Amino acid sequence: MSKTKEQEPIELHGDIWKHIQPGEVILDARGITKRYPGGVLANDHIDFKIRAGEIHAILGENGAGKTTLMSILFGLLQPDEGEIYVRGLKVRFRSPEDAIKMGIGMVHQHRKLVPAHTVLENILLGHPRSRGVINVKEAEEEVVAIAERYGFKVDPRARVWQLTEGEKQVVEIVKALYRGAKILILDEPTSALTPVETERLLESIETMTNEALGVVPFITHKLPMVLTISDHVTILRRGKVVDHIETAKATEQILAQKMVGRPVIFDLQKPPSQPGEPVIQVENLSAKNNKGVIALKNVSFTVREGEILGIAGVAGNGQHELAETIFGMRPAETGKIIFNGQDITQLSILDRWKLGMGYTPAERTEVGSIGDFSLVENVAMNYYFDKRYNHSGFLDYGRLRGLTEQIIEEYDVATPGPDVKIQTLSGGNLQKIIMGRVLSRQPKLVIANLPAQGLDVGATEFVQRKLLEARSNRAAVILISEDLDEILSLSDWIAPMYEGHIVDIIPAAEAKKDIIGAMIAGLHQEN
Amino acid sequence: MTVAGYQIRLQRRASLPGWKAAMFSILAILFGLLLFSFIFLQADQSPKEIYKQIFRYAFFNSYGLRLTINRFIFLAMASYAFIIPFRAGLWNIGMPGQLYMGALAAFGVVYLLGGKTGDLAVAQPVVLVLMVIASMVAGALIGGIAGLLKGKWNVNEIVVTMMLNFIAFYFVSFMIKDGGPFMNVGGRGESFELPEAARAPLIAGFPYTLVMVFVLMIVLYVLFSRMSLGYQIRAFGKSPSAARYAGINPFKISVLVFMLGGALAGLAGYHYFGAVPGVYKIARTYGYFGDLSFYGMICGLISLGNPIATLFIALLFGGLSIGGRYAQGKLHLGFGVDYALMGVLMISLVAFQFFYNYQITFSKKPTGK
Repeated sequence: MSKTKEQEPIELHGDIWKHIQPGEVILDARGITKRYPGGVLANDHIDFKIRAGEIHAILGENGAGKTTLMSILFGLLQPDEGEIYVRGLKVRFRSPEDAIKMGIGMVHQHRKLVPAHTVLENILLGHPRSRGVINVKEAEEEVVAIAERYGFKVDPRARVWQLTEGEKQVVEIVKALYRGAKILILDEPTSALTPVETERLLESIETMTNEALGVVPFITHKLPMVLTISDHVTILRRGKVVDHIETAKATEQILAQKMVGRPVIFDLQKPPSQPGEPVIQVENLSAKNNKGVIALKNVSFTVREGEILGIAGVAGNGQHELAETIFGMRPAETGKIIFNGQDITQLSILDRWKLGMGYTPAERTEVGSIGDFSLVENVAMNYYFDKRYNHSGFLDYGRLRGLTEQIIEEYDVATPGPDVKIQTLSGGNLQKIIMGRVLSRQPKLVIANLPAQGLDVGATEFVQRKLLEARSNRAAVILISEDLDEILSLSDWIAPMYEGHIVDIIPAAEAKKDIIGAMIAGLHQEN
Repeated sequence: MTVAGYQIRLQRRASLPGWKAAMFSILAILFGLLLFSFIFLQADQSPKEIYKQIFRYAFFNSYGLRLTINRFIFLAMASYAFIIPFRAGLWNIGMPGQLYMGALAAFGVVYLLGGKTGDLAVAQPVVLVLMVIASMVAGALIGGIAGLLKGKWNVNEIVVTMMLNFIAFYFVSFMIKDGGPFMNVGGRGESFELPEAARAPLIAGFPYTLVMVFVLMIVLYVLFSRMSLGYQIRAFGKSPSAARYAGINPFKISVLVFMLGGALAGLAGYHYFGAVPGVYKIARTYGYFGDLSFYGMICGLISLGNPIATLFIALLFGGLSIGGRYAQGKLHLGFGVDYALMGVLMISLVAFQFFYNYQITFSKKPTGK
């Protein structure tokens, strides 16, 4: 690698960020181009500027090139063409270390933390200071000070595995700030957050921009969020910049149309409910969470054929435990689960699949799929035991391949073919495969855990339509979501959860968003 | 990087065809041999001559070839004993213990049939079948302990198999040394010799266990690429949490892979002490074969758990260990040269696996930049 002066900006870090004026261009990317093997043009001459004190949203569907662009800005990838200037200084990042030293911080959508370590250890990990001896007490004080300055609550001694998604994100942000980030890149920052956490994050971001930090959230699906928080939006489609807009002049419709390239319908067609026999009856069910504490407390409900029960709630209020307990991935401490009249509380997960239950987990990459496996092998996860695909111990891979191709076709999955590893798919396409695989079994009960979380507009619409289709096919559906709009538009019954209890079960026709919002925040008074 | 106007880049591979993987392994071996020639040159020896001696003895000398094949069978079985749990993401470090128990069980059958002192009352095929079954069952049982503890209480399988090695090692010692039930009439710290009827038949001068190796290769290949059980093992190996979600029973898989692995290691024990011509007893130096079985791990790791590739690696290392020792004696090379050579080859093979994931591309650098 030829060395020129521009590549050694490391020592300049202290100087370069002095005397920032709000509104000044602090990062200028010109003509960024990245071509992947196979000729995919992920970024095609992208130009954009970030100004100090500005929130600059970058909008685009899955596969529009956002992640590539972000990786280039953070030094994870090197562009084939184009230049990056930080405060007028031309830089070339060979690795994230270079980018960090230039004041660029990044918070990934998929958290990159060590679960077994404490918050403080994670924050110190990789920090230039941690090479020698660390004064832990001093570092802890500094971390707490930074967190307080921006209004974050973190316990530096908590272990990361004990944290909720929202708390983990806070850790990542504090980590970036502790390293001196002046430009903070947030990848889908609100996708895993609850409404309350989102609000808190936005307040903190505002504090940051007041201090003339540049913040770049990459947002795909939460268009209202873009409208409320950002100052500028850059819209990408197929690797190209479609438009730069001042947010004040944009509407949800305009943004969606530019992003998708066609008008988007926001209303789902939901036929009237025709409930049939009860499919699942949960009685007095309790379960523990991963920390061994009772997190699901005496929950009871019934879902009938052709009905969707929407479980609303802020993450960590027992919804996850509820889904896993019904599906047998977590033992029930008390209570009974009755499926089609049969007590299945003690049955294995395999038996539940065979009886016609289906579960789409929230953790799509860790639980819902096997990244190293091909699409066909991932589809086999729900079929390896099925007599139609398993002939006395031998798997019928030919038939599985056919089924996979059918799912790819029906769900409009963007993939080169059924034999590629599933880890090459984007989030939306991965979820389509998981949904397709589970729904193709025509389950009598579908438990969908955060089915549209983190998906772009198109994929969200698709997944939601498929859930309604399952309902029309007489399945009972339990929908777990943190998005109240999603709950309200899909459910027949709504069960808000708070601290492990179901607060109430309300028919969707009578449900009001503000009341449910109060219930999941624990503000609802029993009358 | 730019060299002479060409831009050289490293790119991640999307996929790798099997023939290319094989080609990289061959390149790796050639590279390793080349690298090691410098050590021979340093000692004023002709690398060409030494390699000629090694390979000629290991693969083209009828006596050497037989030794190579005996060792190849042993290594292949030990490798498979490692590979099956490995594909489930579990580490079997217990091949020594499993093969000791396998050997003991095979000799136990003969002992119970009265073969220690006199001739056997049962026909040869019956004895052989019983010996094979006993060795596999014994290996499976001791291996199963690790699987059971792993599956039930998540006890680290590496520690358990390692500790079981010690138990088995001293158990063999108790059984065959002076005063032990299997002791040789002449003492000497070795077991009794197998009577004629318990000795394995030879096929073209090679033990019949050679056939078993090829059968095992096919069985394992089919298991992993076609069968539901193999699929479950692989799924569990890639992602235990996803496997559990899919209804795969972690306990069942843990116990099963260790029992299967242990059975094959037990068979390796039967092979070396019960089927290799001229041995037919548990030798005083049985611990050497326990150590040798660790090469099974290396073969399994180098071949990335592929049962077909494993055989080539096992044959190479089987041959090198025989030929290397021979050349060392004949040409008066330094002590340990044979193992050093194998070590260099292993490192080279592992290093070349880099190219399984990455490729280097050349492109003409655009001018004016």
